[in-house]
Amino acid sequence: MAHRLGGRRKNVKKGFQFCFMVVGASGTGRTTFVNTLCDSGVLPKKISDNPEEAHNEAGIKIKPVSVGKLLNFMLLFVHEKQSLIFLFIIVSELDEDGVRISLTIVDTPGFGDNIDNEKCFQEIVGYLESQYDDILAEENRIKRNPRFRDNRVHALLYFIAPTGHALREIDIELMRRLSPRVNVIPVIGRADSLTPQELRDFKRRIMEDIEHYNIPIYNFPYDPEEDDEDTVEENSELRTLLPFSIIGSDEEIVVNGRTVRGRQYPWGAVEVDNPKHSDFARLRSALLSSHLQDLKEITHDFLYENYRTEKLSRTINGGDQDGAALDADEMASQSVRLKEEQLRREEEKLRDIELKVQKEIQEKRQELQAKEEALRSLEARLAAAQLQDAA
Amino acid sequence: MAPAPLATGVGVANLPNQRHKIVAKRGANFTIMVCGESGLGKTTFINTLFTTSIKDHKNPLRRHHKQLDKTVEIEITKAELEEKMFKVNLTVIDTPGFGDYINNKDSWLPVIEFLDDQHESYMRQEQQPSRQKINDLRVHVCLYFIRPTGHTLTPLDIEVMKRLGTRVNLIPVIAKADTLTPRDLADFKRKLREVIAAQNIQIYSCPIESEDESTTTRNRTIMSAMPFSIIGSTQDVTTADGRTVKGREYSWGVAEVENEEHCDFKKLRSLLVRTHMLDLVSTTEEMHYENYRRGQMETRKFGDPKVKKLNNPKFKEEEDNLRKKFTEQVKQEENRFRHWEQQLIAERDRLNKDLEDKHAQIKNLEGELDGLYQAQGRNTTRR
Repeated sequence: MAHRLGGRRKNVKKGFQFCFMVVGASGTGRTTFVNTLCDSGVLPKKISDNPEEAHNEAGIKIKPVSVGKLLNFMLLFVHEKQSLIFLFIIVSELDEDGVRISLTIVDTPGFGDNIDNEKCFQEIVGYLESQYDDILAEENRIKRNPRFRDNRVHALLYFIAPTGHALREIDIELMRRLSPRVNVIPVIGRADSLTPQELRDFKRRIMEDIEHYNIPIYNFPYDPEEDDEDTVEENSELRTLLPFSIIGSDEEIVVNGRTVRGRQYPWGAVEVDNPKHSDFARLRSALLSSHLQDLKEITHDFLYENYRTEKLSRTINGGDQDGAALDADEMASQSVRLKEEQLRREEEKLRDIELKVQKEIQEKRQELQAKEEALRSLEARLAAAQLQDAA
Repeated sequence: MAPAPLATGVGVANLPNQRHKIVAKRGANFTIMVCGESGLGKTTFINTLFTTSIKDHKNPLRRHHKQLDKTVEIEITKAELEEKMFKVNLTVIDTPGFGDYINNKDSWLPVIEFLDDQHESYMRQEQQPSRQKINDLRVHVCLYFIRPTGHTLTPLDIEVMKRLGTRVNLIPVIAKADTLTPRDLADFKRKLREVIAAQNIQIYSCPIESEDESTTTRNRTIMSAMPFSIIGSTQDVTTADGRTVKGREYSWGVAEVENEEHCDFKKLRSLLVRTHMLDLVSTTEEMHYENYRRGQMETRKFGDPKVKKLNNPKFKEEEDNLRKKFTEQVKQEENRFRHWEQQLIAERDRLNKDLEDKHAQIKNLEGELDGLYQAQGRNTTRR
């Protein structure tokens, strides 16, 4: 890690800023993963609510949580009862290889838990875009705030449920919608429910699906011509590990005399940090050490720029598109009957007008013809009279 | 009148044996339904339960074929099992597509309709003049597979289970239980039981009391393990201590299917097949069917066909779409009319102008004519 810092010694002192988001249905191990990553109980585990309320579908609220070594937290927008998932934002400090990282983690409990989940995506996309909007606004200021805090999400870990089959509709839809705004890294949560063979097949099928549906995930891009051999090797290795299989645990167990983090089953013990059991260690190092800078760069140079271009050309081309997107229900519910009536009446009116106009035209034409006749006869008489005169 | 004990053996005590012979010859009919999201191990479980591959797994190669209607299907698999000369006609009902989509609203309707239809069909067949060949597909037990989140039931689970519980013997099952540590599992079971009780979901409870003590205790242990945690596997693996068992082999150990400490499979199997199958069948016939029948007969006359609900929610969506299209078309038509109107008005104005011009011309000519007349008149008078 040190060699990358070469010319950035002051950054080392200031520390890096990194923000990632974890998304997935409840029970896929998101919260445990975050706690395992930060080595501390950073996120509160879901307190299973009052059983009487279990049938209520949760609302969305964004709440910051202050925990332990917290420097500052942002109070972000709070919706009430309008949106559908909660977002928890945690800011904490990590020491990774002696480098300080100021880490912001956004959790999204409630995603995919409702009966109808169509609206979840918009919430998350809205959050991501609002962070970009903040940066956009800040960049356009005449006097910029030197202490401005960049809250853009640099990576999104999407937790896939370990069904063992393939990607579900909600997985595909989410990754597809979010890839244009953030680096999506698919991850298999609770991977201890798959045997090694099943895991291999599952990973293979997921990658096939991702290719089939053309979902642009973050796949550790490398350029065989430009980058050096080590990077190419590292990245291609990480690429073969995609999607990472994750087992998380914030408890310690004793295995063969060693105390490790893991889960204890009656038939054996799973170790979190054992690369044969889970890809957690590789993911952690990739996310927080080796590829942290890469993720940030892609977010800034590519995703943010795209968003900026889209947004600015949208406002130039005219107008807020939001008003035009009428709710389908509204349109349908606007009484269709009324419209039919209106339409019929207007049609009749137009037809009447047409008839009247045509009649008028007819009459006028007849008048015209009569007058022409009269004129002609007059002319004839005139001619005759002139002839007579001449004669 | 107290039963009078017969002094010498008349042979009445042989009646159960006769019954046994008749039943053994006839064979039995058992219909089981498995309900739950895909990927929870339903197919594997059925195959494990009956130790033969009754159901085929979903073919992963076909998964990219677009499924346009996004509905829940009912898949019926029939098999005939035979053990020690006793035949069982087994029917397995699966619900592929349930809970798999982004919007799962009303996804339980096909399932509920199916259950009701079976009761309905049986009722109709019973009312026929000839009742010999009754095709009975009434579901005797429904296993609802719950995702092992460790938290609680999802709103979808609750909605469906409420509706299932009143129509069929419902047994909730924790799928893929090898992802929960023993403590997580105990917590999860407790939470589930609380939610089930709080939401008034009716689940199957077998009769506990029985003549001999061992059966009673066994029944009690079975019931206290609800909801059952399941691990399914049809493969034989070798454990660390050399035994060959059905189980799942991980890098950290082997989870055995039939080991009571690993999962509740044995208890569930005992409940479904060994001990309580008859109870399941009879409760379906006596309780659920009778409830249905009573409910229907209170409103319908004997022999009346069932009133079909016409508002299918999927149709409603299509209706909305059509309405939207219609409104768009209406807008287009209005635009066309407006153009037409404008054209007509323009045409009319043009013609009017022409008319005006012609009038003006006529006036001029008339003026000239008059002038000429006058001139001519002067001329003639002059002559």
